[in-house]
Amino acid sequence: MTAHFVDQLDALQRRSLRMASLVEDILQEACEAVFDHDDALCRRVVARDEDVDREEVAVESEVIRLLALYQPVGSDLRLLCTVLKVNNDLERIADCAVNIAERARHLDIHAVIPDQNDLSQMVPIVRHMLRYAAQTFGSHTAVDVDRLFKEEDAVDAFYQQIIRRIVADAVKAPANMASYLDVLSIAKNLERIADHATNIVEDVMFLATGEIVRHRHWQT
Amino acid sequence: MVDVAESPPALRREIPRVVVTPLASRPPREEQGDMTSSAVITAEKLTIRYGSFPAVRAVCLEIPPRQVTAIIGPSGCGKSTLLRSMNRMNDFVPSASVEGTLLYGGQNVYGPGYDAVELRRRIGMVFQKPNPFPKSIFKNVAWGPLINGYTGNIEDLVEATLQRAALWDEVKDKLHESAYALSGGQQQRLCIARAIAMQPEVLLMDEPCSALDPIATTRIEDLIDQLKDRYTVILVTHNMQQAARVSDRTAFMYMGELIEVGVTHAMFTKPTNQRTQDYITGRFG
Repeated sequence: MTAHFVDQLDALQRRSLRMASLVEDILQEACEAVFDHDDALCRRVVARDEDVDREEVAVESEVIRLLALYQPVGSDLRLLCTVLKVNNDLERIADCAVNIAERARHLDIHAVIPDQNDLSQMVPIVRHMLRYAAQTFGSHTAVDVDRLFKEEDAVDAFYQQIIRRIVADAVKAPANMASYLDVLSIAKNLERIADHATNIVEDVMFLATGEIVRHRHWQT
Repeated sequence: MVDVAESPPALRREIPRVVVTPLASRPPREEQGDMTSSAVITAEKLTIRYGSFPAVRAVCLEIPPRQVTAIIGPSGCGKSTLLRSMNRMNDFVPSASVEGTLLYGGQNVYGPGYDAVELRRRIGMVFQKPNPFPKSIFKNVAWGPLINGYTGNIEDLVEATLQRAALWDEVKDKLHESAYALSGGQQQRLCIARAIAMQPEVLLMDEPCSALDPIATTRIEDLIDQLKDRYTVILVTHNMQQAARVSDRTAFMYMGELIEVGVTHAMFTKPTNQRTQDYITGRFG
C-alpha cells in the first residue's frame, strides 16, 4: 500500500479524534447547562451539534472513498471499520447532549430536585467514560477496562435510582410532572451516552485484536 | 477418431496407457466420502534448492481437498517453485534438488520409483501465459485423453470439458478452427479445459491471469470458483486482491519460508504474523 494511503489514513484518524474532542466539549457544556440553567449555553450546544453532524458525514464519506480506492486489508481495514462505527457513536452522543441541553432550557433543577445527588454523581462518571473511550480510540489499546465496567454499572445503578426517586416524587407533587420528565430524560440520555462510550471501547478492541466482542463479557 | 500421429515428435514417446473413466460414471461427490478431513497434498519439511540456493526452505503445508488455496508472497519468495514441486515439474530443471517429502495420495512423490507421468495426469497445471497446442480447439482438448487411451465418446468428453471450462458457448460452432484464433482469455480457458480433460484431482495454476485483461481475469476467477466443486485448486498469484477474492485458504511465503497459512478472510482481516500484516498492507514487498 502506498505511503499516500497511509498518510490519508492517519489524517482520517486525526479528524475523527478531533470530532471526539468536540463531542466531549459539547457534553460538558450540556451538563453545565443543566445545573447552571444557562440558556445561552443550551443554544451553543445545539449550534455545535451541527458541526458534529457535518463532520460525521465528512468522515463517513472519507471512509467510503478510502475503501473503494484502496481495498485495504488487515489492520487498515479494521481501522476504517472502527472509524466508521466510532463516528456513528460520537454523532449519537452529540445528539444525546443536545437532548440534555434542550431539557435544561426550561428546567430549574434546583427547584424541582433540591438534592440532585444521583444526577450530580452520574455526570462526571459519564464524562470520564467518554474521555476514556476517546483515549482508547487514539491509542488503539484499552487498559483498565475493569474500571469501565464498574463505571457502566454505576451509571445504570444511578439511572435506576433516579427513576425510583422521580416516580416517588411525582406521586407527591404531580404538578411538577413536566419537570420530573425532563429530569428523567436527562438521566436517560446520560445512560445512553455511557452505552455509546462502551461501544467505542469495544470497537477499539476489535481494531486491536480482530475479534468482535460486543454483546458479551470480554476478558482483559 | 483423432489421429494421434499428429502429435509433435517430442511427445511421441512411450506413454503408459491409462483408462480414463468417463465423467458420467464417476460417483457423485457425496458418495466419495468426506474428503474435508484429509489433505490432498502434504508437504513435510520440503526444501528445494537450485544448486546451493534454497528457494523453498523446510515448508510444511497441507492442501485441503476441493478448496482453492492461494500462495502469495513477494517476487522470488519461492511460491512458483513450491507449486511446481507438487507435480514434479522441477524435474526439468537440472540444478533442482529436493529434501523432505511431498505426499500425494499418501505416497511421497519424490520416493524411488514414483511414476511422475501419472502424477502429472492427476495433478494438472495451467501456466501464466496461455499455451494452447498449435491445433484446433477440439484437438487441444481431445489430444490428452486420446493419447492416454480414452475409450469413451470423445465428442461428448470435449463438449463436457468445454462446458466445465465455461467456453463451450463461445466455441461450439468453431471447434475445428485453430486455437490461436481465440482471444487470450479464451485461450487460457482452453488450457484449463485441456488440463481438466485428463480428469485430474488437482489443478495447479501459476499466475493464470497475469497476461489477461480485467474482463478476462474476471471470467477466469468465476471459473476457478466453479472448478473447486470438482477439483482441488492451488493458485499462485502476486495479486493479493485476487487471492482474497477467489481462495478459501491463503498461504504467505517470504524468502522461501512459509510464514503463515489460514482461512483467507482471517488472513486478510487479522493475520497473526507481523510480516504477513506488513505484506498484505503494502508496508513491504
